[in-house]
Amino acid sequence: MKKWTYLPVILLVLLYVISMLIDPDKISIQLEERNLPPGFSHLFGTDWLGRDMFLRTMKGIELSITVGLLTAVLSTIVSFLAAMLASMHKWLDRLISWLTDLFLSLPHLVTLILISFTLGGGFKGVVIGLVLTHWPSLTRVLRAEILQLKETKYVKISEKLGKGFWWQARHHYLPHLLPQMLVGFTLIFPHAILHEASITFLGFGLSPEQPAIGIILSEAMQYLSTGFWWLAFFPGLILLIIILLFQICAKAWKSYLEKDFSHENIVRD
Amino acid sequence: MKIKAGILLLLSLLLLITACGDKEIAESEDRPDNNIENQLTLAIGGEPESGFDPTTGWGRYGSPLFQSTLLSRDQDLNITKDLATNYEVSADGLIWTVEIKSDVKFSDGEPLTADDIIFTFETAKQSQSVVDLTNLTEIEKISDKKIAFHLARPQSTFITTLQTLGIVPQHAYDQDYSEKPIGSGPYQLVEWRKGEQLIVKKNPYYYGGDLEFDRLTFLFAEEDQALAAAKAGKVDVLSLPITFATGEIPGMERVSLESVDNRGVMLPVTEPFTNEDGEEVGNEVTADPAIRRAMNMAVDREAMVEGILNGEGTTAYSSVDGLPWGNDQAVVDHNPAEAEQILKEAGWEKGTDGFYQRNGLKAAFTLYYPSGDQLRQSLSLVFADQMRNFGIMVETEAKSWVELEKLMHANPVMMGWGSHDPVELYSLYSSSMQGVEYFNSNYYKNEKIDEYLDKAIHALSEKEANENWRKIQWDGQTGVSAKGDAPWVWLVNLNHIYYVNEDINIGEQKVQPHGHGWPITDFITEWSIAE
Repeated sequence: MKKWTYLPVILLVLLYVISMLIDPDKISIQLEERNLPPGFSHLFGTDWLGRDMFLRTMKGIELSITVGLLTAVLSTIVSFLAAMLASMHKWLDRLISWLTDLFLSLPHLVTLILISFTLGGGFKGVVIGLVLTHWPSLTRVLRAEILQLKETKYVKISEKLGKGFWWQARHHYLPHLLPQMLVGFTLIFPHAILHEASITFLGFGLSPEQPAIGIILSEAMQYLSTGFWWLAFFPGLILLIIILLFQICAKAWKSYLEKDFSHENIVRD
Repeated sequence: MKIKAGILLLLSLLLLITACGDKEIAESEDRPDNNIENQLTLAIGGEPESGFDPTTGWGRYGSPLFQSTLLSRDQDLNITKDLATNYEVSADGLIWTVEIKSDVKFSDGEPLTADDIIFTFETAKQSQSVVDLTNLTEIEKISDKKIAFHLARPQSTFITTLQTLGIVPQHAYDQDYSEKPIGSGPYQLVEWRKGEQLIVKKNPYYYGGDLEFDRLTFLFAEEDQALAAAKAGKVDVLSLPITFATGEIPGMERVSLESVDNRGVMLPVTEPFTNEDGEEVGNEVTADPAIRRAMNMAVDREAMVEGILNGEGTTAYSSVDGLPWGNDQAVVDHNPAEAEQILKEAGWEKGTDGFYQRNGLKAAFTLYYPSGDQLRQSLSLVFADQMRNFGIMVETEAKSWVELEKLMHANPVMMGWGSHDPVELYSLYSSSMQGVEYFNSNYYKNEKIDEYLDKAIHALSEKEANENWRKIQWDGQTGVSAKGDAPWVWLVNLNHIYYVNEDINIGEQKVQPHGHGWPITDFITEWSIAE
């Protein structure tokens, strides 16, 4: 990896750690300091209850990244398991393919709202909803990979040698699929964050008690027409920056993983 | 986001089309040359979901517009006559005799007679809706212009029914009446497009003098769109929530009206138990009157009025502040020191965490508020903040009304009331209303208060009734105000904010009730073009 690609990663981690260190009790109501535009004492201004928007945004970022990481990891695991299941039997394969097609043909957001709403919203509802809607595309890639792998000689030999399915899964499939899963994970992460913000914005996600970016943005909507632009601008900007940073990392990672190492080895020799 | 943008585009197109449509009408109908052309566009919200049938509740807030009532109240809440020319109450309070005007016609040209009034009251009684007429036993027709209402028991609040129940025509009343109302009121329906707009025109047979405006259009748009339309000069009367109404709109005057539209924290007053319907009732912390009284004194209402309402409101100490049946004695001063004293005397001690506790019970509860209501959210957050600083741990949580209905008997909820009908006091505090709909969610019960409520309702004169209504707040020994049982922490009365075209004079207004929007049409017959 080139040196500069570490920068976004460091920035991301730094943001996350800083946001975790902020004490939620610091975000106090100061009625006499309400609706202040951005300035030195309040970098992002204050809202209609005098809460500091910088602190609220950072707390929102923490929540967003947590939700993003959690759902991205869980979705990747679900994808892997689904792909493995598909490789076990013809009928299971049909079922999984059908499910994949079903979920891919429905708009993400609609399914997400349905699932989250049925589960009663909140953190649990959002995470489960996100996990259940973000697995299909990765599953499809993994399934194709496994189908290919199954036909390779060494897997066939190992089967002939009497190795069980799960042994093969651990020693042949997982190492081979890991790069794909890592790329899938990095692709799901920004999606998950944006979708969490969207459904929270629409009122089906996290409860208004939580300092989520979606909540901040939907609250700010009501104040946009009265000219308090900073309520939406900075949280939106930070969200965008997070997504872009991650996107850059993901790209770098992908090109690194796709590199032809055999070639590199030859050159080194 | 694409969908949202699409909807916005569609709406703006729609607005454009309707705006063009209006222009055409105005041009074709050769109007006198002034800028409002004798027609008004109002964006005051409050589209009635159940339509315009007074027998099922239309017209409780503000004028029924299409219908007229027997009596009404003027700007100072004195009783005036509308359809009636005279009314008398018998000495025992059981018979109300009303004489009506003889030349009143419905907007379809048919005369309004005693039969229509009898029909209206009987229909309302049968519909068993929000119009409560269970006490009405018989309606007697003395002549075409004279009716006697027979009551089972004297009822001082019957006069409110006479003020709010619009008279419907017997000959034109059917299943679709609520969507095609005909009445004797100042305006008649032209078109109602649900969710979009309502167009009404002058009733040519209206008895109350000539009206300044021939045609009214009520827009039912979201606040954002209404505000945008007003800024473009397409709206003459606009109602806005306080959080929106900070700026100026060119060509419009900002009117801030005082109201009894209150917000307060409803506190369950009983110890926890499960009622016969299996609902959780009561809260062990707020069951202690000391906690409730202390919170009433510890809360800084002034800060809320200034900080949350931008000064557009008043501090609230009861549900009926400033009304003829309200009581000044209900007022408590902001006094945290005395609040601490009250808690100490009741055995509460501050723990190491800074919160009061007694026998291992921490003074803590969750305050619920309806999600999507920014004002109640702000009030809840600030209330919780103030209480935490004082030493009572209050968490806040938003829930939908459906969920709140399950929670509200066992948990404090941010609620709001405010009516021109004193019977609301009965709904809030009578033990017979425990857990009925949203009324008396506290499960409050005080025999003395029940007695006053009974006396007030069955009083023979308004004066006697009001005296008893006032005693409910505080009679020297007990009451529902903060000095007494304090089942509520009333916080603020919100001002209602309207922007009105500078060229229109809407005159004086009443103290506004809970509903925001329609109440401003109360005196629409007196609106005029300013000279």
